[in-house]
Amino acid sequence: MDVYEVVKKAICKVEPGLDESKIVPAALLKEDLDLDSLDRVELALTLEDELGLYLQDEEMGNIFTVGDVVALIESKLKVEKKS
Amino acid sequence: MVTPLGTGVDKNWSALCTGRSGIGPITRFDASPLRCQIAGEVKDFHPTDFVDEKFAKRFDPFIQYAMAASVMAWEDSGLKMGQYDPRRIAVVIGTACGTNSYFEHAHRLVLQGDLRKVPPFFLLNDSGNMVAAVVAIRFGAKGPNHCPMEACVAGTSAIGLASKLIQYDEADVAIAGGADAGITPTCIASLDNLGALTTKRNSEPEKASRPFDADRDGFVTSEGSGIVVLEALDTALRREAKIYGEIAGFASNCDAYHYTSPTPDGAGQAECMHLALKDAGVAPEDVDYINAHGTSTILNDIAETRAIKKVFGSRAKNVAISSNKSMTGHMWGASGAVEAIFSLLTIKNGIIPPTINYETPDPECDLDYVPNRARKAKVDIVLSNSFGFGGVNAVLVLKKFEGA
Repeated sequence: MDVYEVVKKAICKVEPGLDESKIVPAALLKEDLDLDSLDRVELALTLEDELGLYLQDEEMGNIFTVGDVVALIESKLKVEKKS
Repeated sequence: MVTPLGTGVDKNWSALCTGRSGIGPITRFDASPLRCQIAGEVKDFHPTDFVDEKFAKRFDPFIQYAMAASVMAWEDSGLKMGQYDPRRIAVVIGTACGTNSYFEHAHRLVLQGDLRKVPPFFLLNDSGNMVAAVVAIRFGAKGPNHCPMEACVAGTSAIGLASKLIQYDEADVAIAGGADAGITPTCIASLDNLGALTTKRNSEPEKASRPFDADRDGFVTSEGSGIVVLEALDTALRREAKIYGEIAGFASNCDAYHYTSPTPDGAGQAECMHLALKDAGVAPEDVDYINAHGTSTILNDIAETRAIKKVFGSRAKNVAISSNKSMTGHMWGASGAVEAIFSLLTIKNGIIPPTINYETPDPECDLDYVPNRARKAKVDIVLSNSFGFGGVNAVLVLKKFEGA
């Protein structure tokens, strides 16, 4: 699965009308993509729904960029695979 | 305003004066199990003409209608952000039911066991006051912020209360009105089971809302929003604002009688009309036109007729009365606000919109309801009635502005 594409799709769902080319790994969720705290909650719930994961608030708290989201998801998927 | 007749005042006014109905079959859900299968759905509305896509996705239609109507009213007022102290700008927007479709959507998820999918925005939508809050955010209005949740008088109360905020010098400007969007399975089924809705004219929906006609058999639910910008007279004059008219008086009371039925003799409603006229310092004989609540239910139209007779005595037969709901249907909390706007346009344009579908006189309703055709008339003072479930009544007196 291409986690990056899943994250990109989820961000577009939360932020309709967003210029997709702005979604790059280094893009800051708040400053570059205009995702406020409520948008971040929606993003987490959207990703949970897509991937069947549970994202804790503390985990989402350390997320600043698109790349951070991708890395978090990838690490969680790895843990799931092992267990 | 946003109504089943269109988006914006011009479309609405021309539809109203030509006697066009906004009622049609329910398309939002399968209403076939119900006795009433018609409603006044808002059709030509594109939320993104007024808000961004994110807002349109996050908020219930009733909030979107209110925001759109607020944007149109604000633009029409000519006010600019920063022109006044933001702490002196109030927002008072009422609703009967607030969020319905968003609630039903979220509840469906709960029933499916998908609790983690319930949108974080659900509760924000479900708090009716969010409608006044989002409008305040849009216009930076930091003054008093209220949401009267008062059934079918909500919009009338909102305008009345906002005018008092200005009168008591709590605000210079107020964005005020009402909004509702209740064409959802839960709301329509409940009203249908209650027996409040028309059931006889599913095949000719445009004829179903027929206030004061002998063959009326219930109201037609519709949806929308009406918003006005009120302003203190001195500041409005100073900036040479476009003035449609004055809010001269307001009163509200409660029948304290029954959940759904008005007092049969119209006593509570008559008292409310009296109080509003007193507040305006206007005698009944000075009223040129009554914008009736006129829902097209058996009980309302009789009680309202009796109430008008109590207030106007032998002159009752000589006062023009009409019901905009014959064309718009009943937009609940939005109706009173939309009707206040129509009342101001009646004053401004000298045209009284008709009560359409008036075919057979009801001996119990024997006044001049301006049947079927608009009428030219000089109108300086209008009484606008709204009555709601719970026995709540609210009446506005609107007056031509004669100059300072």
